Amino acid sequence: MSQLPTENNMNSRMILVCCGTGCQASGSLDVLASLRSLLASDTGTAVQASTKSTGCNGLCEKGPLVKILPDDITYCQVTVEDVPDIVKSLQDGTLVQRLLYRDPVTKQHYRSHHETGFYKKQHKLALRNIGEIDPADIRDYLDRRGYQALRKALAMSPAQVIDEVLASGLRGRGGGGFPTGRKWKSCAVVDHAPRYVICNGDEGDPGAFMDRSIMEGDPHTVLEGMIICAHAIGASAGFIYVRDEYDLAVVNLNQAIRDARAAGYLGNHIQGSGLDFDIEVVRGGGAFVCGEETALIASIEGNPGEPRDKYVFPTAKGLWGQPTVINNVETWANVPVIIDRGAAEFAAIGTAGSKGTKVFSLVGKVVNTGLVEVPMGTTLREIIFDIGGGIPKGRRFKAVQTGGPSGGCIPANLLDLAVDFDSLTAAGSMMGSGGLIVMDDRTCMVEVARYYVNFLAGESCGKCTPCREGISLMLEILTRITEGHGTIADLDLLENLSATVQAASLCALGRTAPNPVLSTLKYFRDEYLAHIIDHRCPAGVCKELTEFYIDADLCTGCGLCRKKCPADAVTGEKKQPHVIDAAKCIKCGECINNCRFQAVKIR
Amino acid sequence: MMNIRQALKLFLQACCARRVPDSGACPAGGESGHTYACTKGDGAEMAVDPQQAAVQHSMERIVWQYPPEQRYILAIMQDLQKEFNYLPREALSLTADHVQVPLGKVYSMATFYKAFSLTPRGRINFKACDGTACHIKGSLVIIDELHKCLGIKPGETTADGEFSLETVNCLGACAIAPVLVANHKVHAKVTATAVREIIKTYGGRVDEPVAN
Amino acid sequence: MKIIIDGIETTASPGETLLDVARGLGIRIPTLCYHEAFGGKGVCRLCMVEVIAGGSARLVASCTYPVTGEIEVRTTTPEIEQIRRNIIMLLHRRAPGSEFIQDLYREYGCPGSVPAADPDERCIMCRLCTNACETLGACAITAVSRGTDKRIDTPYGEASPDCIGCCACAEICPTKAIDVVRTADHYAIWNKEFDMERCAGCGRPFISRPYQAHISELVGQELSGEQLCPVCRKKQAGGVIADVHRNRS
Repeated sequence: MSQLPTENNMNSRMILVCCGTGCQASGSLDVLASLRSLLASDTGTAVQASTKSTGCNGLCEKGPLVKILPDDITYCQVTVEDVPDIVKSLQDGTLVQRLLYRDPVTKQHYRSHHETGFYKKQHKLALRNIGEIDPADIRDYLDRRGYQALRKALAMSPAQVIDEVLASGLRGRGGGGFPTGRKWKSCAVVDHAPRYVICNGDEGDPGAFMDRSIMEGDPHTVLEGMIICAHAIGASAGFIYVRDEYDLAVVNLNQAIRDARAAGYLGNHIQGSGLDFDIEVVRGGGAFVCGEETALIASIEGNPGEPRDKYVFPTAKGLWGQPTVINNVETWANVPVIIDRGAAEFAAIGTAGSKGTKVFSLVGKVVNTGLVEVPMGTTLREIIFDIGGGIPKGRRFKAVQTGGPSGGCIPANLLDLAVDFDSLTAAGSMMGSGGLIVMDDRTCMVEVARYYVNFLAGESCGKCTPCREGISLMLEILTRITEGHGTIADLDLLENLSATVQAASLCALGRTAPNPVLSTLKYFRDEYLAHIIDHRCPAGVCKELTEFYIDADLCTGCGLCRKKCPADAVTGEKKQPHVIDAAKCIKCGECINNCRFQAVKIR
Repeated sequence: MMNIRQALKLFLQACCARRVPDSGACPAGGESGHTYACTKGDGAEMAVDPQQAAVQHSMERIVWQYPPEQRYILAIMQDLQKEFNYLPREALSLTADHVQVPLGKVYSMATFYKAFSLTPRGRINFKACDGTACHIKGSLVIIDELHKCLGIKPGETTADGEFSLETVNCLGACAIAPVLVANHKVHAKVTATAVREIIKTYGGRVDEPVAN
Repeated sequence: MKIIIDGIETTASPGETLLDVARGLGIRIPTLCYHEAFGGKGVCRLCMVEVIAGGSARLVASCTYPVTGEIEVRTTTPEIEQIRRNIIMLLHRRAPGSEFIQDLYREYGCPGSVPAADPDERCIMCRLCTNACETLGACAITAVSRGTDKRIDTPYGEASPDCIGCCACAEICPTKAIDVVRTADHYAIWNKEFDMERCAGCGRPFISRPYQAHISELVGQELSGEQLCPVCRKKQAGGVIADVHRNRS
């Protein structure tokens, strides 16, 4: 164990245990409980340390994460068994080497997460507090300039606040990218009271959990943003619509609202001003379409979440027909930063058309999966390789999907694309809410298109013909192709249908549904053709078009595939080339995924 | 001889008669925490067994805690789903009466939102995450294996009421994909073999793979 | 406000929909889900038109798009024709059992499509029936579930206590998808049976009891027993007019 340099306040430590959903799923609550009980026991009291549970630190791949302050030590993949060693190390002033973050490429150990490739290139604005504070304790938020922005805003006129948000260049972080200041301004001029403020927490893009982390890990930043807006547009009530599946977010938001009320940041005469404003949490019912703002409004009103034509915006006629500002969770999280530090500082980050930072959930076939926040303009390559650590198991990068079911796939030759609203749209995809799904050569792009269309078919509200029927037919065609019954005419029909669904659907769900299909057709047409003409799936995913076999020249007979196979389809003696029985093989891919010698191949 | 609907209606009317003589509407307190005390009405003859009465009382308590407005339908149904593991018919009628909205509208909402089920979910409710990260890491393998072992597809429950299966989109635990949740317990990096072990842990019977 | 539709200059009131303006000019824009009683709902998307404003063009649903400025409109373009063709093709795939849709399918020269599961299905989910039922205040039928599972039904598919048997839904349905099974003195719709009241004049059964009760409630008068069927009512009105003329001369 290595020695720490002496510091003057080693006597009192703060141990932060990440209790974001990812780490919780890996057992962090048990780690926290074990730490607390050990510290409270006789052996523990000698170590003056207190514990705090925090929200998501972002490096979910390495969870459960435990951080020690003020030493700035980060321990990864901590289990209950490691707890005694950690407590002992605090007493001795040493480090538990085996728990430190180890860079997969350089093999170097890092003491603090701040030094790692994952965190070095990040710039945290929306995520500034998460992982550092206990979301259930308003004092932690206040200690880090919490509600300073609100005080400042209340001393400004509503018009000044709107001008500041306009000057920052903040664009909606939920996917639309609409300039936030313009939205607020257009609502403020509508002479019709009452006005409402809504937070869209119905984060539904599969693979995206940015908003979840913010709502769970730093709920007050969302509240503060909304209260500032209430002052700017003259709103009397706010609603946070949270996706039904996000239990912890609902609990933490409600706690934060109670605490904010008690501290005088919500309710009547907020901080002695003339502003009366309160916020209510509304839980969704399990419908992706409710992320669309008119469907969300319909849902709050007590209806099925069916959107309406948006020729008149919610800023003019929204909730119960009143002028309403709806913004995404991450957008709200940026507002206090803009008011506190000033629009100019925010606008100095990012690109000409996209100011500030963006939070991404970097998931899929990437070494460091988790949440990252980077300045707009960072390239995809930097995010996936420098921060994300590249593709695991020595496989090859194939594509990255951005924008969720409304977005598109971006191939390897576009990796140097700067991430910002306009360049992603120009490449045939979109920013979306921030999901970045990394795919390797074992991902079938036709199957990905089918997956997204299947998702949307289940989530379509069913109101309008092009979306309801069009997506269903697109799904039928894509399923046929992945099962080996596709024809060339199917590709023409897909493109023809896509044009109609894009042009005629009532809402953005339908209008953007063809995007994954069109972008995979654009960049990976050869894969479609392989399915249709050659009746094979090059990635080895579509079961009817895949056959795995073992290359006897490369196989070392280690037997790993035989052990992993759930269908007993692999046979072979130790150190002898193994064989796959195609009749028994269920095409689950465990063999090819685990083989260290690239000996399992796709016919 | 009355049926349950008529009995329930009389029961409710008798309760209402104590508070609001004219309308039949039940005032509820909502935020003020004003809960509605249920007392047996006078002269209401019915044959309701104690267990049924307890269930009805439970439904009323849940529904009547909310203000009688359409916008609370979702919240009411969420509480009912949590309590009963599905939405009982009587509860939906009660909701419609309380918020003064036709039953058709309430039914429409109960079937639109997938958080709810009109039939009871299994003792063990499996949620297989089919979010994109889990999908490309093999969530279909899990779903197939569950189908093989339990005979149910997403949205179905086994005949004995033990297990039900649904797919969900992204639980936010993408680093430990593919994820399978059993009644709030999260299982990480699940494989086909692990599925069989998990089913056995929850008391299910699993046949080992047989040579073809 | 001055707007130009298909080259014709006209004026529109602010908030008036493009569909209303076009109909006022006698320009035919095809619709399936539109009815004057409910206004535009934007459901079928057949009425898409091209709006040119501020130098850019976009497609909008004319039944819900309100005129708010000076614009130019084209009610048909090759792109719009393709969209309409595809929509009819999709509806035919969904509801091949409807003659109305079969006729449209031929009229639009639709490309071939894969027929869907149910050859007898006639419902095109235009929602005219549920709009009618909702306007009446009953909501006995509503749109249930979502996506392609979406269908029109009563709660649990059973006879709805809120259904008064007015049959407005069956009458307004463009594809005759709602069945009314009639006998001499009763009929059934949506799994509910209705006995009919007899005419005080000719004794013919002509209206269901719940429907009559609904009218009584609306009118504020108990009407049972004194009701006349439409034929007898006409005769009676005719008799009154004849009396008036006779007394004059």
